[in-house]
Amino acid sequence: MHADRTNRTMMVLFALLLIAVGLDAGAASIGAYGTHTQHSLLMANPTGHFIGSNGAWLWPVAAVAALIIALLALRWLLALLFSTDRSGDLVIRSSSGAGRTTLANGALTDAVVGEIEGYRGVNSARARLIGDAEDPELVVTAGLEESADFTALRQRIETEALTHARQALGNMALPTQLDLTISTKKASRVT
Amino acid sequence: MRLINRVLAALLSLALIAVSLLLIIEVIVDRASHRTAVVNWHTAYHWAQRNSWAAGSIRVTSGILILIGLVLLIAELKRPRVSRFAADPAGAGADGIDTAYTRRGLSAAIRSAVTAVDGVRSTAVKVKRRKVKIAAVASAQDRAAARSLRDPIAEAARERLTALKLRRPPSVLVRVAPRSR
Repeated sequence: MHADRTNRTMMVLFALLLIAVGLDAGAASIGAYGTHTQHSLLMANPTGHFIGSNGAWLWPVAAVAALIIALLALRWLLALLFSTDRSGDLVIRSSSGAGRTTLANGALTDAVVGEIEGYRGVNSARARLIGDAEDPELVVTAGLEESADFTALRQRIETEALTHARQALGNMALPTQLDLTISTKKASRVT
Repeated sequence: MRLINRVLAALLSLALIAVSLLLIIEVIVDRASHRTAVVNWHTAYHWAQRNSWAAGSIRVTSGILILIGLVLLIAELKRPRVSRFAADPAGAGADGIDTAYTRRGLSAAIRSAVTAVDGVRSTAVKVKRRKVKIAAVASAQDRAAARSLRDPIAEAARERLTALKLRRPPSVLVRVAPRSR
C-alpha cells in the first residue's frame, strides 16, 4: 500500500535523528559538555581524529555503506511509486482437488459492484480485493442515498452481495470490510 | 497525513540516493586523482577546522534541526482523525463483516437530517471521535427563535444516529445562530 508503514517508521526515525543531532550539537555549542568542548574546533574531537587517522580504509567502507543505503532507498522509492495492495487473480480450490479454476480479481469485484449498485437507495459502489491472493480481503464502499433505509440496505448488502461474493470464492469466512457513506446524490437509475 | 508522508518519503529516499551517490563518486575520484568531483568538500572541511562548537551558525542549525525533528515527530505520532465509525455488529446480516460508516458519510447524514428541521437555514457538521458538533444558522434573525431550535436540531441528529445503528454513537453538541441579515 505505497509502503505506508515503512514511510511512517522512516519518518519517525528521521525525526529522532534530527532531534538527536540537533540536541548533541546544541549541547556542545552551549557548553553542556564543558567549556573545553564548547571552544574546541569542530574537527578537534575523538571522532574527527579517528576519521583523520583512518581515512585510508574508512572512506572506502563509507562508500560501500553508501552504496547499500542507496540501493535500499531505491527499493523504498520503487515500492512507494509502484506497489499496490491489490490481490492478483484468485485460485479457487475444488473440493475434489482435481483441476484448477482461476477467478480474475476484476470479475469478482465488478460483480459485487454491479449487484450493490442495483439496490434501490445505493447511488455508487466500489470494491477491491486486497492482500495475498491466497488469503485476500474484500473491501467494499457503498454510497447510500440520504433518504434510504440505512439499516435495511446494510443488511441487504451483507446478506446478499457480500455473501454471494463469499460463495463465489468458496470461502464463507472471507475477511470483508464494508464502508458505508451517505450523500445527497441520487442514483442515475432508470425506474 | 498518509499523502504528505508519501511525498516526504519520496523526497527523503531521493535525498538518500543523491547523497550516497555523491559520497561514492567523491571517494572514487579522490582515490583516483586527489581532486573533488561534484562537491567542493574541501571548503567545508577547512571551515570545520576554523570554527568551534560555540559558533552562532552551529546554534542556529541545531535549533532548526530540533524544531524540524519535533514538528515531524509530533505530526507522525499524532492520533489520526477517525475515518470510520463502526456499525453495531448486533444488526449485521452476516458474520465476519467489518461494517462502518465513513466520517464524511456520517457528517452528510446528520447535516441532511438537521437541515430538514423547520426553521434551519444552513448547517455545518464536524464529526469527531466521540462528539458531533453542529453549527446551525436559523432562518429567523431573532436570537430567542434561534435558541428554540436547539432541541429539535439535537433530536433530529440523535434520531439519525439511532437510525445508523452505530456501535458507539457519538454525543451531539448543537450551536444555533440567528440569521445575520
